[in-house]
Amino acid sequence: MKRAVPVAVLSIAGLVPVWLYEPSAATSTQITAPASTPSTSSSSGSSSTVVAGTTVDTEKGAVQVEVTFTGQKITAVKMLQQPNHPQTTAAVPKLIEETLEAQSADIDSVSGATITSEGYKESLQAALDAKGA
Amino acid sequence: MRRVEQVMGFPVSLRVDDEDVPESAADEVFAWLREVDARFSPFKADSEVCRLDRGEIARGDVSADLDEVLGLCEEYRAATGGAFDVRLPGRGLDPCAVVKGWSVQRAAELLKAAGARRFVLNAGGDVVASGGPWRVGVRHPEHADKVCTVLELTDAAVATSARYERGDHILDARTGRPATGLLSLTVVASSLTIADTTATAAFAMGADGIAWASARPGCEVFAVDAERRVLRTEGFPVAGAAPGAAA
Repeated sequence: MKRAVPVAVLSIAGLVPVWLYEPSAATSTQITAPASTPSTSSSSGSSSTVVAGTTVDTEKGAVQVEVTFTGQKITAVKMLQQPNHPQTTAAVPKLIEETLEAQSADIDSVSGATITSEGYKESLQAALDAKGA
Repeated sequence: MRRVEQVMGFPVSLRVDDEDVPESAADEVFAWLREVDARFSPFKADSEVCRLDRGEIARGDVSADLDEVLGLCEEYRAATGGAFDVRLPGRGLDPCAVVKGWSVQRAAELLKAAGARRFVLNAGGDVVASGGPWRVGVRHPEHADKVCTVLELTDAAVATSARYERGDHILDARTGRPATGLLSLTVVASSLTIADTTATAAFAMGADGIAWASARPGCEVFAVDAERRVLRTEGFPVAGAAPGAAA
């Protein structure tokens, strides 16, 4: 158990570059932090052990995991540090691809890029405002 | 009641269908937007934003409103990996992209507090719809007199970022160059603060911004890329779509 803990933590730290890997980008991941002694805290009456892994510096920022062991089993893995990068946010939902249409529909309002007063004169919103006034 | 006024350099159109809402509610909306312009405009030398930028007031001493705006700016800068930044090198502090959505959402809340239930507030193309159904078109990126899709909204906000009105005014802060990966990008969310900032930030990221905005919680996206392809999220509330898909 004593040896199993740091070995497991390093294994998980080793998986981090895999988790960050994207096929399109040439990743240059480096583990710069030395394998420090994991901080172990064990509460009496419970066999759970919480171990913080070493901080791994990746191209996208620092990554650190915390692993909870119950006996010899890993029961939880938590991210202590993760890169603040767009690609590590929530999973991307499925996108639907369509062709661009030009419609003349019956509408109440129009969303568009911030319109200038010049642009407004020729805008659909101006026509809607004039119609309703 | 319908009103159109020019505030912050763009036309603001208000339509309130509730008969019992007094004209003073609309007065309050436009007064608030003018106040925001005076306090937060980067083009007015005596605005709080300019005084902060010149160091006349410390970051810790700004008003609660400006503190909230600057907090949002920082949140989106971090979330876009720096593509969206209100402090570009060689330029003054310009939080307009956040101030617009935030202040118009606040204006919509003033209307609700005054008893308005069914209204549409359109501030230069950013829309807050309340008490729908409302049909809101998204301007076609190449034809000003056409729409490229129509949304059906009950209570939601829509914002669109594009280059067709003011040219290449959105810069990718990572490169300092104009964002050109998209023709337009529209975000629907529960508040305009989220919709407008997400749309502007995603536009600054270019083509990557589509997936990024789609992954933001509570955001539905409709984007037209540089090849004129439409990419949208499944939940984007297109009018006439299957029940349950409407926001």
